[in-house]
Amino acid sequence: MIIELDRVLGLAQKLGAEYADARYVTLTQAPVSASTDSAPRASSQKSTGLGLRVLVDGAWGFSATPYLDPRSIERMADEAVRIAEASARHKRGDGVSLSPLPPIRAKRHTPHKIDPLQVKTEDKVGLLSDVLDRAKKMPGVARASTSLMSYREEKQFMSTDGRQIEQTSIHTGASVSVMARGAGDVQSRSFSDFKDASFWAAALLKAPTCPRGVTDLVMGGEMVALQIHESCGHPVELDRVLGQEATFAGTSFLTPDKKGNYRYGSDSVNMVADATVPGGLGSFGFDDEGIKAQRTDLVVEGVFTDYLTSRELAPRFGQESNGTMRAVGWQNIPLVRMTNINLEPGDWTLDEIIKDTKEGVFVNNPKSWSLDDKRWNFHFGQEIAYEIKDGSLGRMLKNSAHTGITPEFWGSCDAVSGKGKDEWHIWGTPGCAKGEPVQVIHVGHGAAPARFRKVRVGVG
Amino acid sequence: MIGKEDALKVLEKVVSFAKGFELEASLSVEDLSLTRFYGNHIHQNLRRQDHILTVRAVKSRKAGVSQVNLLDDGSLRWAVSSALENAELAGEESDFRGLPKPRPLAEISSYVPATAGMKPADRASACGVVISLAKSKGLEAAGSFATGTHEIAVASTAGVRAYHGSTEGFFRTIVQSGANTGYADRLTRDVREIDFDQVAREATDKATLYPSAKDLPPGRYDTIFLEYALADLVRFLGLYSFGAEAKQQGRSFMADKMGRKVMGDNITIWDDGLDVRGLDVPFDLEGMPKKKVVFIDKGVASGVVYDTRTAVKDGVETTGHAGGQMRGYYGLVPSNMFMAEGHESLEEMIASTKKGLLVTRFHYTHCPDPSNVVATGTTRDGTFLIEDGHLVARVKNLRFTESMVEAFGRVESISKSSRLTRDWWSTFSSVLPAVKIKDFTFTGATAF
Repeated sequence: MIIELDRVLGLAQKLGAEYADARYVTLTQAPVSASTDSAPRASSQKSTGLGLRVLVDGAWGFSATPYLDPRSIERMADEAVRIAEASARHKRGDGVSLSPLPPIRAKRHTPHKIDPLQVKTEDKVGLLSDVLDRAKKMPGVARASTSLMSYREEKQFMSTDGRQIEQTSIHTGASVSVMARGAGDVQSRSFSDFKDASFWAAALLKAPTCPRGVTDLVMGGEMVALQIHESCGHPVELDRVLGQEATFAGTSFLTPDKKGNYRYGSDSVNMVADATVPGGLGSFGFDDEGIKAQRTDLVVEGVFTDYLTSRELAPRFGQESNGTMRAVGWQNIPLVRMTNINLEPGDWTLDEIIKDTKEGVFVNNPKSWSLDDKRWNFHFGQEIAYEIKDGSLGRMLKNSAHTGITPEFWGSCDAVSGKGKDEWHIWGTPGCAKGEPVQVIHVGHGAAPARFRKVRVGVG
Repeated sequence: MIGKEDALKVLEKVVSFAKGFELEASLSVEDLSLTRFYGNHIHQNLRRQDHILTVRAVKSRKAGVSQVNLLDDGSLRWAVSSALENAELAGEESDFRGLPKPRPLAEISSYVPATAGMKPADRASACGVVISLAKSKGLEAAGSFATGTHEIAVASTAGVRAYHGSTEGFFRTIVQSGANTGYADRLTRDVREIDFDQVAREATDKATLYPSAKDLPPGRYDTIFLEYALADLVRFLGLYSFGAEAKQQGRSFMADKMGRKVMGDNITIWDDGLDVRGLDVPFDLEGMPKKKVVFIDKGVASGVVYDTRTAVKDGVETTGHAGGQMRGYYGLVPSNMFMAEGHESLEEMIASTKKGLLVTRFHYTHCPDPSNVVATGTTRDGTFLIEDGHLVARVKNLRFTESMVEAFGRVESISKSSRLTRDWWSTFSSVLPAVKIKDFTFTGATAF
């Protein structure tokens, strides 16, 4: 297929493209799901096609097709060029210019012990059935559901500047959710040990609602991961900062004048984008512009230092791309996307943080998330919370939520754990959405429990 | 477009592979073109074509699923054999009563050649209308223009044969004036209905109205929601309350309240896939006809949408709302929501407001408490203070947190016109009016 991609690029150049890149992708997925009210069901899914991106007269065009016969590919190349010519009618200044790159040939496969697609479907169905059988025996469980995903993306990339890359990405993940129902109340627990989830969902029905007020907030690792995703990962996407996502995903409060001097958080806050960390859903070998995966400091001791960038946008700030342009499948254009956006581990343990907190609330497991279009004001709801009194966890609380302003919130962070065994963990976020048409991509977040002082809780 | 004949030919072949088991196949064909612009220039521009063939094989009440996007013989055979293999490994579905038999389907014309025939240059020209107006006023425009066709075909061993082709155009823009923004969009089957000048003026006028935004403390305000904004409030009722599974599992606020008053007398919300004012489609992914379903009838909880499986549980007939075969978190949801209009014009609604707010639309709304439909989100692209019946100032964006069930019990007035609109996420395409809600709860504020 490398030879055929070469032919596709040649066609584009012949038609006037000054730059072109092509991606041939086969995505294979095998979801299995089951719930207490529907039998286990498995699906086998395959999607194959070719995407071609061209630059003509400094403007972009993209065309994608599953039809791979020579005539269809010729039509696709012609169409990509015509689309770029239309873009050029309203192009930015002198148009797009890309920083030069040397040719490269590379291959990369996700390191793994077992390919989840090689695991027998009956074993997956059996696993989920076992979970549900146990759910039915748990008191208070109104419904339980569970799912398991196996994912393999095989991609060949070639660009007119001589980048030829083959990559295979393998991902997997599972979820369990348990629902308990009482008088006018429904409570759920998920992504946790199944037995615990069942117990706590029922227990939450009897728990008091998290009181409203301003107090110290200790967040579990999964909650920290989502807070990072929404209030750091998205705001540092440079395309968003410049307004490219204004009509859908929004823009960012982290405007270019803030780079290198803006107090984003406290000294305890260090964040990186790391596409090289083993096991992360945001790890890969090369992005979809052929740039090698990298680790980039985003926030250093609380100061905002850098964006996620692309070959087109980084040069505007005198930089080179840090390799975050990623597309979902073959049929979409690459966009600046998160990789693994991680909060670096601190020197506390969760236990030490709780013991050091006189009064506050511990929350975990996100239930809802909402941010304004600059990622300034946020609101998160959680499945479960506990009050903290005099250094100990107290009563369980339900319907907890916290709200605030992003830099004020991260500025109030005075303790990050990670010293304790397994406290710092790379969480998978397989549902990160962005772009028109929307692309849902896999990203990761290294996170550990952390404490934030004087946060508004119990809102909604 | 591959057309009715070719789409059904593919499905006939797939169905012919079913020997000794039941099979249902649906073919979704997409041809989407989309141009995006920001900062007064086009930055993304694409066309993508794809098909998704979904096969459901059922043997001894066990169902398996497969999906493939290539339509050669080998891929079709792979899809059928994979679905069958998955069926043999699945659990028995006690509610399965056999694949549904064919039923009469309405003939709907949703295909407009002018929309299907849009070229990249046509879209660039349309975007250029907003860009030119913004430039002439020293403003910056962002937006997108999506045009395309969508075909859906369904066939089964039970005899179902259904096909529907449609077109869609969605144009939207945000115009920026300093720190302020204004928004407008149009959604239609027929792009000739879009007055691009009017859209450009609507967004520009909103961006430039009252340049200096003032801070407003969170609190309860009588609030007028334009159609764009109401789409987000109705969205959560659709996602969490109006589907059969939400009712059957007890997740919906209506689960134990059918036939009881749950909202104001002036609230009637329904789903109607055959109403041409919406994005009409005559059948669902089982090939079953769309039926009109009233969810809220003058404030009374009245119904939910069903597919054949959930209908068996409640002893009713499907309403034609089957979705994908791998059921998602939400379960069944409506497809074409409508809300009954009232008697006032928007101007009259503003004129009758002593002190309140006008909200254009929302960003990133979510639902912290689905069973009570408590939603939250922030306003954007034009939030204005009303005093003594007039818009008097732009206010900085606010966060609301409020139960939609309670809020729809306090609707004071509803506009006498409605329009096809989408929520910020484009979850639903609904035909909605503007509404005024008394004492709507805002719980936070932004700095812009």
